[in-house]
Amino acid sequence: MEQILATTLRSAAPLVLVATAGVFAFRAGIFHLGLEGLMITGAFTTVAVGDATGSVELGILAAVGVNLVLSALYWWVIGPLGANVIIAGLGLTSIGLGGTAFALGAIFDKRGSIFTDVVLPRPVRGITSGAGVIVSELSILVWITPLIVLTAWVVLRRSRFGLRLAAVGEYPFAARSVGVNPSIVRLQALLIAGALCALGGAELSVGALRNFTENMTNGRGFIAFVAVIFGAWHPIGAALAGLFFGFADAIGIQSQINITERVPREFVLMIPFVITIFAVWLGGLWRRRSLEAEAGYAELREPDY
Amino acid sequence: MTGSLQRVASTVVLVVVSLLLTALILWASGYPVGDVFSGIIQGAVTATGASTSTIRWAIPLLLIGLGVVVGFRAGFFNIGGQGQFYIGACCALAVSLGWREGPAPLVILCGTLAAIGAGTAWSLLPGYLRVRFGTDEVLTTLMMSFIGALVLQYLTAGPMRNPSGTGQTAASERIPDSFRITDSSGVSATVLVLVGGVAVLVWLLLERTRFGLSMTLVGRNPTMARWQGIDVRRVGLAAFALSGALAGLAGAVELYGPGARLVTGFSPEVGFTAVVVALVGLLTVGGTVVAAILFGGLQSAILFLPIVTDLPPPALVLLHGMVAFLVTIKFKAVWRRTGPEAKAAAG
Repeated sequence: MEQILATTLRSAAPLVLVATAGVFAFRAGIFHLGLEGLMITGAFTTVAVGDATGSVELGILAAVGVNLVLSALYWWVIGPLGANVIIAGLGLTSIGLGGTAFALGAIFDKRGSIFTDVVLPRPVRGITSGAGVIVSELSILVWITPLIVLTAWVVLRRSRFGLRLAAVGEYPFAARSVGVNPSIVRLQALLIAGALCALGGAELSVGALRNFTENMTNGRGFIAFVAVIFGAWHPIGAALAGLFFGFADAIGIQSQINITERVPREFVLMIPFVITIFAVWLGGLWRRRSLEAEAGYAELREPDY
Repeated sequence: MTGSLQRVASTVVLVVVSLLLTALILWASGYPVGDVFSGIIQGAVTATGASTSTIRWAIPLLLIGLGVVVGFRAGFFNIGGQGQFYIGACCALAVSLGWREGPAPLVILCGTLAAIGAGTAWSLLPGYLRVRFGTDEVLTTLMMSFIGALVLQYLTAGPMRNPSGTGQTAASERIPDSFRITDSSGVSATVLVLVGGVAVLVWLLLERTRFGLSMTLVGRNPTMARWQGIDVRRVGLAAFALSGALAGLAGAVELYGPGARLVTGFSPEVGFTAVVVALVGLLTVGGTVVAAILFGGLQSAILFLPIVTDLPPPALVLLHGMVAFLVTIKFKAVWRRTGPEAKAAAG
């Protein structure tokens, strides 16, 4: 039982962080399918820079920096240059996955994975027996994740910026009419999202583990995006959805150990995707919202001949 | 016509820019760019068997890419080609392994039809949700794609696993050699005729039939299409079905051609690359053929490159990402506001 709880928290923390990133983007009206790419760049940069400098803090700072640059580029491409949000997002994911695997070969001359000595601090120490052992293995990022989610909630629901963000996502005309520049607000949202993805990636590579592996995000960025939808693009909802998917993952890992005979792991792994299809369907039935993202790719639906 | 010429020119420019950016990254990482590019030419065209290999990789890209074109034409965004491709291949495999003693042509026919049916079913679910309830098809096709990949993983690791297989990655049993329509090169007259025929049929359908015209109308302006008396839902469903059918067919061709067995997670990038191929091909049939050959050549080259340089294969994924990242840029871009945009059959 404690085992499942700890595995859940560990699997969920990166998901929740990246899902929070997705919420910021979604509220600005951007279907951010580049989350996966930003997440793996975060994981890689933390390990690469952390290993080179011997400081995990510098590693994370560098990861945040790289992701801010990538997010700004993404904004530039989909905003001022008018590229398709979905395609460019998927492209960003490929750039992240391909780029990190390539850099692994180019910088470290390795294929597959690298190990590192740097690791995130684990604030709870000194427990050597009982259920507490698991708690002491959780990194500091796991502990501050709830704080980040709460902050996101306050920012999105209670701050001027959050309300502007919602206005930009839901009805850019209204935002513009009160003197808000939707494009700048989108940039801000994407930058916040990029930084959060860096944290999520860092937790994956130096929080729970001490290595970077090619394609180690393994679709987590997409699951996080799913959590955004499933959580009705509310920071708390998305966090709970992330927690649930972390739980499903933990059960999947457990079922691999215990009950493989009865429930194949693949079916457990399908749950989030099946749920999402239902959630998207029902969500569409309950409320039809006009999202700027739809307009974003409507351009492709109506090619200029 | 200047408009379409502009589109061709801007796409070519963007693809070249992506290549240059990738080359810049390679150069900055200390790889000899000249050698890499000459290696790409060799691996795609001049080396022994290179052009065959280019065609072999172009075939699935072309079939899935045509599916994407059909979807786009009617205003839908099918990015789930990967899953439809996997499910098609799985069903063809199930038919072929279940009926080993059958006469080869009949088994191949049944397997191919099963693959087409499965691909169709896999895209019709998102399609139905889209035209009936207005559910966003980008998300649902993507989700169906992940589910398809897991189904393949389950089948190759479980029920269809080759029991005598010793490799680390799960793989199915091989289909009997008599069922194959190519040798391991993946190219034969049969396949070329089949794929060429499909491309011509899709072109005829889109450009020369009433149905193709109604699809284009639905894609451009569903409201107007409805006023013209077009059954928007039926046209939308047909577009989804055809789109999935083409991806499923690609799965069958892969199995009966170069594959002969299914390995978990095979050709992992093909579904996404096919979307890029369709976009680079400007969502036209002819353009998609050209783009598929281009990207097939790159795929073939990346498998060849380790012979001449020590370039890691993920460089190709990076390049694909770069092209996808940039290819939809509009030069006269303005962020378009929510206008009278295609809410397809939703209302």
